[in-house]
Amino acid sequence: MAVYDERKYLKDEDGSPFDGIEKGAVLQECRIFSDVQLKTFKCKKVLVRLLFLVGQGEKLTRDEATGVFFSVTKLFQSKDESLRRLVYLAIKELAHTAEEVIIVTNCLTKDINSDVDMYRANATRVLCKITDAQMVQQIERYLKQELVDRDSVVASAALVSGQQLLLHGKGDYVVRRWVNEVTQAMNHPSPMVQYHALALLYQIKQHDRLAVSRLVQTLAQSGTRSPLATVLLIRYVARMMHDAGVPAAGEDRPMFHFLDSCLRHMKDIVVYEAARTIASLPGVTPAEIQPAVNVLQLFLVQPRTVTKFAAMRILNQIAEIHPMAIMPCHSDIETLIADSNRSVATLAITALLRTASESSVERILKQIQNFLSDIADEFKVKVVDAIRTLCVKYPSKHYVLMNFLGSALREEGGYEFKKSIVDAYLELMEKIPESKEICLGHLCEFIEDCEHTTLSTRILHLLGVEGPQMSNPGKFIRYIYNRLILENATVRAAAVSALAHFANVDTTPKLRESVSVLLKQSLVDVDDEVRDRAAYALRSLGLDNLEDAERLTRLAIKTHENAMLPCPVPNLEMELLRYIAGGNTAQGFKLEGVSKAAMAGVASEDIGQKASDSRAMGIPTPAEKGRDAVAADPASTLLANPELAEMGRPLKTCPAVELTEEETEYTVKCVKHIYADAVVLEFNIVNTLDEQLLEDVFMRVDTEEMEGVEKINLIPAPKLPYGTPGTAFSVLEREEGTFPLGSIACTMRFTVRDVDPATGEADEGGYTDEYQVEEVSMGLADLMSAPAELPTSFRSAWDALGTNFQVEDSFTLGNHSSVGTAVSAIIDFLGMASCEGTDRVSDRATSHVLLMAGIFVPNIDVLCRAQVTFQDDGGVDLNVIIRSSDQAVSQLVAEGIA
Amino acid sequence: MSDLVSQLMRSWTDLMDWLYGMFFQQEMDLSILGLPAAGKTTLVTLISRNEMIEDRIPTRGLNMQKYSKGGVTLKMWDLGGQANFRAMWERYCVGASAIVYVVDAADSEKFALSRSELHDLLSKPSLAGIPLLLLGNKSDLPAAVKSEKELAEIFDLASLKGREVCAYSISARNRTNIDITLQWLIAHSSKKS
Repeated sequence: MAVYDERKYLKDEDGSPFDGIEKGAVLQECRIFSDVQLKTFKCKKVLVRLLFLVGQGEKLTRDEATGVFFSVTKLFQSKDESLRRLVYLAIKELAHTAEEVIIVTNCLTKDINSDVDMYRANATRVLCKITDAQMVQQIERYLKQELVDRDSVVASAALVSGQQLLLHGKGDYVVRRWVNEVTQAMNHPSPMVQYHALALLYQIKQHDRLAVSRLVQTLAQSGTRSPLATVLLIRYVARMMHDAGVPAAGEDRPMFHFLDSCLRHMKDIVVYEAARTIASLPGVTPAEIQPAVNVLQLFLVQPRTVTKFAAMRILNQIAEIHPMAIMPCHSDIETLIADSNRSVATLAITALLRTASESSVERILKQIQNFLSDIADEFKVKVVDAIRTLCVKYPSKHYVLMNFLGSALREEGGYEFKKSIVDAYLELMEKIPESKEICLGHLCEFIEDCEHTTLSTRILHLLGVEGPQMSNPGKFIRYIYNRLILENATVRAAAVSALAHFANVDTTPKLRESVSVLLKQSLVDVDDEVRDRAAYALRSLGLDNLEDAERLTRLAIKTHENAMLPCPVPNLEMELLRYIAGGNTAQGFKLEGVSKAAMAGVASEDIGQKASDSRAMGIPTPAEKGRDAVAADPASTLLANPELAEMGRPLKTCPAVELTEEETEYTVKCVKHIYADAVVLEFNIVNTLDEQLLEDVFMRVDTEEMEGVEKINLIPAPKLPYGTPGTAFSVLEREEGTFPLGSIACTMRFTVRDVDPATGEADEGGYTDEYQVEEVSMGLADLMSAPAELPTSFRSAWDALGTNFQVEDSFTLGNHSSVGTAVSAIIDFLGMASCEGTDRVSDRATSHVLLMAGIFVPNIDVLCRAQVTFQDDGGVDLNVIIRSSDQAVSQLVAEGIA
Repeated sequence: MSDLVSQLMRSWTDLMDWLYGMFFQQEMDLSILGLPAAGKTTLVTLISRNEMIEDRIPTRGLNMQKYSKGGVTLKMWDLGGQANFRAMWERYCVGASAIVYVVDAADSEKFALSRSELHDLLSKPSLAGIPLLLLGNKSDLPAAVKSEKELAEIFDLASLKGREVCAYSISARNRTNIDITLQWLIAHSSKKS
C-alpha cells in the first residue's frame, strides 16, 4: 500500500518520475545515503532513479560505481523493508563494475539468518551473485537449509542461486552435492519451486546422459504439477530426442508418447510447447506431426491473438517440411488472413503461399489481392517475397504470378514495397528467361506512373540492356520516350542512355533512325547532363549524320570501339592509383598493361551473391561467407615485395591451394600469379614447430614436365619463427609463345636452428634440411580469367572475332548425371564466364548450348560455344567451337579440353 | 483525495523524523576498526545488545549495530580486520563522529602491524580532525598491557596531531571500563553537532 502511494506521489509531482534523469545528478543525490540522519523515503527515490539509470544501459565508471556502492552499503542501517529491497537490487546491479563488493558479505549473511523471508530470499540471490567459489563453501550451510525451506520464495531463491553459481562456474562441486535437497524441493507444494528445482536438477546432471534420461523418464511418468516444469521437461525430452537422431524405419521414438500426451494437457503453454517440439523433431513424419497440427488448429480459432500467433508460427514451420500436413487447417488459416493483427495475417499468408499447390495458386492470389491494400508495407514486402519464391518453385505459373506482381505494382505503396517488387522481377528475369518479355512489359507500365526516381532509373537502365534483344524492341522505345518528355532531369538522363542502347550496332537502320530523331530532341534539354548524354550518344554511335547508312554502320562500329576503353574501368582505376602511389612517374603509364580480367575483389563479390542466393534457398554456406570476408586484394603480398613489385600487377591471381595436409610440421599454401611472360608462385609457409626457427626458406621448383620455362628465380623467406607466416616466391619466366601447363614438383629447402621453447632463444649453429610438399599444377583455368565486363551481346562479339582463328572439336565426356553438372564442370575446367545466363540448365534438358567468354593471358579474348548433348547410355557429347584472336590460344584451349 | 492524504501523510512522517532528530535524538557514526580477532564485533555486540558472545566467526566485511541511550544513538560500523577489508576502512571513516580502534592488548607480536595500520589510516587527509579512541581490549588476560599510558606509548599516540586522542584499557569479557568508553563516545556525539 505504502509503495503504491509513493509511486502515485512521484507521478503527480514530476510527471513521470523518470523524466530527465541524468547520471551526474543521480550520483550527486546518492550522497544522502551517508547522511547521519537517514531520510528513508528520499533514499528510496534516489535508489529508484539509480536503478533506472543503470537499467537504461548507462555505464558507470569503476570509480563511480565503487563510490555509489559504498554509500549504498550505509543503507543497511535502516530496517525499512522496501528500502532494503532496493539496496539488494542496487548491489546486484553494481556488482559487475564496483570493486570490493565482498564488503557486504557479512550484512547479507546476517540477512539470510534473519526471520524476514523477504530478506532471506533476496539476500541469498545477492550473496550468490557477489560471492566467489571459495566463499560458497562458507555459505553452503545456509543455502542447503533454504533449499528445503517451507517458504516458496526462499526455496526458489536458493534454487535459482544454485543455477547461477553453476552458470558462472562458482563452486560447482558444492552445488553438485545438493542433489538430495533439490530432489526434495521437487515435492514442494509450490509449482514455482518445483519448476526451479527441475531446472537446477537438470543443470547438475546434464553431463551425465544416463542420469538425465532416468530423471526425465521418471518425471514423464509421474507428471509434474507446474505447467512451467512440464514445459521444461518437454524441452529436455526434445534435447534427448534430438541427440537420438532419426529413428530407423518402423521403429518408434522413445518418449514420443509423452509428447503426445502433453498435447492433451490442460494448459495451452504445455500444449504449445509439445506441438513445437514435435514439429522440430529430426526427420519427423507426417503421421507424427498430425496430432500437433490438430491441436494447433484449435489454437487458430481462439480469441487471444498471442495464441493464434504462436500456432501460426509453428504451422508456418511445418508448412516448410510437410506442406500437406497443414491441409486440414487451410480454411482456418484463410480466415486468419483477415485477422486484425497483422503479424498473424502475414504468417497466414506466407503459410498459404508455402503450401500452395500448383493448382491452387490462382485461388490464393485472388484472396491476397483483396487484402493486400489493407496491410502495411512491411507485410506487403513479405508477401512479395513469398510470391517470388513461389514463382521460382513453379516456373510454369510465372504468368499468373507476374500479373499479380504487376497489379501490386500499380497499387498504393511506399518505396520499400515497390523496390521489393522490382527486385523480384529482376531475379525472376534471370531465373526464368522465358518471362523476360512479360517482366519488361510490367516494368514499362510501372515507370509510366512511378514517383521514385531511383526505381525509374534502374528500370530504364534495364530496358536499355535487355530491350534491344527482345523480339520487338520498338515497343519499349515508346515507354522510354515518354519518360523523356515527362520526367525530371535524372530520369531523363537515364532515358537518354537507355535509348542509345537501342541504336547499338546490330539493330535495324530504321530503328537507329528513329532513335536518333528522339535523341536529337534531347539536345535542347534544359538540363546539361541530359544534353551531354544525348550529344555523346549521337556522336559515339554515329547518329549525328544519317545520310549514308552503310558508311555509318561501319563508322558506328569503329567509333563504338574507340569510345570504349580497352580495359574495365575499376581495373584501370586500381592500376592508376598504384602508378601514382609508386611515385615513379618518369615512365609512362601503359594502358595495355591493365588487365581485362575481373578483379578478385569483384569475383568474390560474385561468390557472395551466389552465397546469398543459396541462403535464400535455405542452404547455409558459412564457408563461402568466410572466404568472401578475406578476399581484399590477393596480390597484395606480391606487390609488397620490392623485387617483384616492378613486374606490376599480375594479369590474374588464382585462389590459394593447400600443398600440405593440416597439422603437418609446416603448412604451405600456394598462390599462382600469372603475368604475360612469367608465372610467380607465392608460397605462404607457416612453421608449426615451436622448437625450430627456419631461415632462408627457398621453395625449389622442378619444371621438367613443363615446357617453355626459361629461367627460374627463387626469392626466399628470410626467417620463419614459430607460428608467424612467411612468404617465399618462385618466379618462372617463360618463353614467348609457350604456355606453362603441367605440374611442378616443389621442395622446401631451409636452414633449421633449434629453439628452446621455454626461452625462445635459438641455437647458434643450424643445419640445412628439405621438406617435400605436394605438386603445384597449372591448368587451363589458371591462365584464363573471367572478363570484368561480359559482352553485352554474345553474337556480336562472336561475329567480331570472326572465323580466322576458330577451332572446332568434339569430345565425349563420361560420368555426368545430368546436363547441368556437365555444364558446370566445363565452366570450372575452362575458368571462363558464362554469358547470357546459359549456365542455367533446366532439369529435364537433354541438350544445351553454353556460351562462354574469357580472357587468356596476356589479354587475349576467347569465346567459346559449347553444345552439350546427353546420350541415352549416360555419356555426354560435347561439341566446342572456340574463337580467339590468336590461333595458338584457340588450339591450346581446344586441346586442353581433350 | 487519496493523493492528498498520502502526500499529507508523507510530509507528516518527514516532519516527525526531523522533529525527533532535532529534540530527542542525537545520532552519531562510529567506525570500529582494528586487526582481526581484536574483539571488535564482540565489543559492538556487547554494547548494542548487552550480550557477551565469544568464539565468533571472523566478520566478512561490514557489521552495523545501533545503540541508543539517553537521546543518543550510536551507529557502529564494525568492519572486518582482514587485510582485504582494510583498504575499505577509510570509506567508512569519512564523516564519522569518531574512530574507535580496537587492539588486542595481550598480543604484543601484532602491536607493530597494528600501529602502522592505524597511522596509515589516520594520515589520510579525508580523516583529519576526527577524534580517535584507542581501546586496549582483553585486559582480563595476564599478558595484557593494562596501563593506558603504556598503550599510548606503544601506539605512538603523541605523534597524532590535530585531533582528540584517548586510550582506555578495557575487557569486553569482564565488562571492564565499558561504561567509561560509552561516556566518552556519548560526550563526543553531543560535542560534535
